[in-house]
Amino acid sequence: MAIISQIQGTGLGLKRELIPQIQSLHGQEQLANINFVEIAPENWISAGSKAARQLDWFVERYPVVCHGLCLSLGGPSPLNVGFLQQVKTFLHQYQIPVYTEHLSYCTDGFKGEQGYLYDLLPIPFTEEAVHYVAQRIRQTQDILGQRIGVENASFYVAAPISEMSEIDFINAVISEADCLLHLDINNIYVNSVNFGFDPHAFLRRIPGERIIYSHMAGHYRQTPNLLVDTHGENVIDPVWDLLEDAYRLFGAFPTLLERDNNIPPLETLMHEINKIADYQSKAGHRFTAFEHVPEQMAG
Amino acid sequence: MADLPGFQRYQLAFTARLRDPQNQPPLAGVPDERMAVYEEIVFNNLFESVSACFPVARKVIGKRKWLKLNQAFMRDYSASSPLFRKIPEQFLEFLHTAEPELQQQLPPYFTSLCHYEWIELFVASAETSNIKELQPAGDLGNGRPVFVPAMQLLDYEYAVHKISPRHKPRQQENTQLLVFRNADDHVKFIELNAVTYRLISLMQNNPVSGKQALTLLAKELQHPLPESIIGFGLSILEDLRSQGVIIGTHD
Repeated sequence: MAIISQIQGTGLGLKRELIPQIQSLHGQEQLANINFVEIAPENWISAGSKAARQLDWFVERYPVVCHGLCLSLGGPSPLNVGFLQQVKTFLHQYQIPVYTEHLSYCTDGFKGEQGYLYDLLPIPFTEEAVHYVAQRIRQTQDILGQRIGVENASFYVAAPISEMSEIDFINAVISEADCLLHLDINNIYVNSVNFGFDPHAFLRRIPGERIIYSHMAGHYRQTPNLLVDTHGENVIDPVWDLLEDAYRLFGAFPTLLERDNNIPPLETLMHEINKIADYQSKAGHRFTAFEHVPEQMAG
Repeated sequence: MADLPGFQRYQLAFTARLRDPQNQPPLAGVPDERMAVYEEIVFNNLFESVSACFPVARKVIGKRKWLKLNQAFMRDYSASSPLFRKIPEQFLEFLHTAEPELQQQLPPYFTSLCHYEWIELFVASAETSNIKELQPAGDLGNGRPVFVPAMQLLDYEYAVHKISPRHKPRQQENTQLLVFRNADDHVKFIELNAVTYRLISLMQNNPVSGKQALTLLAKELQHPLPESIIGFGLSILEDLRSQGVIIGTHD
């Protein structure tokens, strides 16, 4: 049962494999830096009574945030309003104050259906795409009656038809949609290697006041200039440097560790979470995005 | 397609290539190595979700056919659910609606086998609500037996539960099964005989007491000694209660 201002400090992406460890170690000092947890609504909506009991356990003990995977904000099929209503009910049911999604698409409208492809695909950075995506974010916010955060996605292919840089695209969409930013530090780094730009210069152009929270994660180095965002490795030093730089620029914002593959024991993950907390304690205070914006929009 | 904005035309060419990398043209100006990342992750994602649900079906038709079938699923099927959990169910739907040409390449029991493998996942995550005014130790003869909420009664033309790569059915064999999720959230399967199957379906479809259901059954069977059916049937019901299929009675 959380409100948005309780999303603070450091958090952990909740994977099913980790649940028994968290439950058995809950309350102990070694988990003190798990201040909030994140779930994908797609994995928990209509997931049966066992999952519902697990989720009850978590919402009673931790602020929970929802980070969606399949809304397809940039997809060519109509926004799946039925699904969004399910998300809305789910957020209400568990009193989850935050919902974020990716600046990407995962549907193609094949054969007149949604055509889910279940992965995060790159939107070409064009003027028309800015308006299209911003309108769909607005539609989402209208239906939910709250602002959402959109995450800068990782990607591997630059669309030859793009008319602007990624950071210009992100800024244009966020400003037109008047939404929040879910900043993924690792994705900035992954894209900077994949497309050869300076990640720190990218970071300086982020609208820091709109950051709702951020992600830290590891990636897989397929070749020296192709990184794949697997969330299956430890966070590497250049990504830590970026986080430090981001805190210096914007003050410490809530930050969550994502680990989706090759998951080590919780104890090992806590080293990285504790390191995030160290970085935060060294950084200055920040007026968080939700101190600037109303917690819930009308509607 | 011509009247779509440029970015959407590009997106559709992109996803067409993902759906069918063997036949769709590469995108102009996109390095093959980079496109291959998407081709692999999108397909592998789907392939792993499907494969995890159908371990027996996969082995029964062999690696090559299984791969081809999944490629056809990727290429021809438009998934309508955003929930990853529903991917196997959509694969079943794909099998039901697949072209006859593809169906003919699969063994006749294949779709039933896949259904049987999927039902475990379905029952495991089926949404249920609490049953009120339940009498766990109620009289199964005079009361109305109440079944566990997450339960499916299944009737197959093949002995799907016995199929393995070493045991592929040569002929049909009518098979009735009951699958349910017990109080500990474990999914259990029970093989039923035709009479027990009929008895359970009678009680599922009509609000009757155990004795009323057994009387109906005796009539259907035109049994000369209905009393013996009732006595025998009540022991079946008690047995189902001890296994957690019947969780009590209602008055």
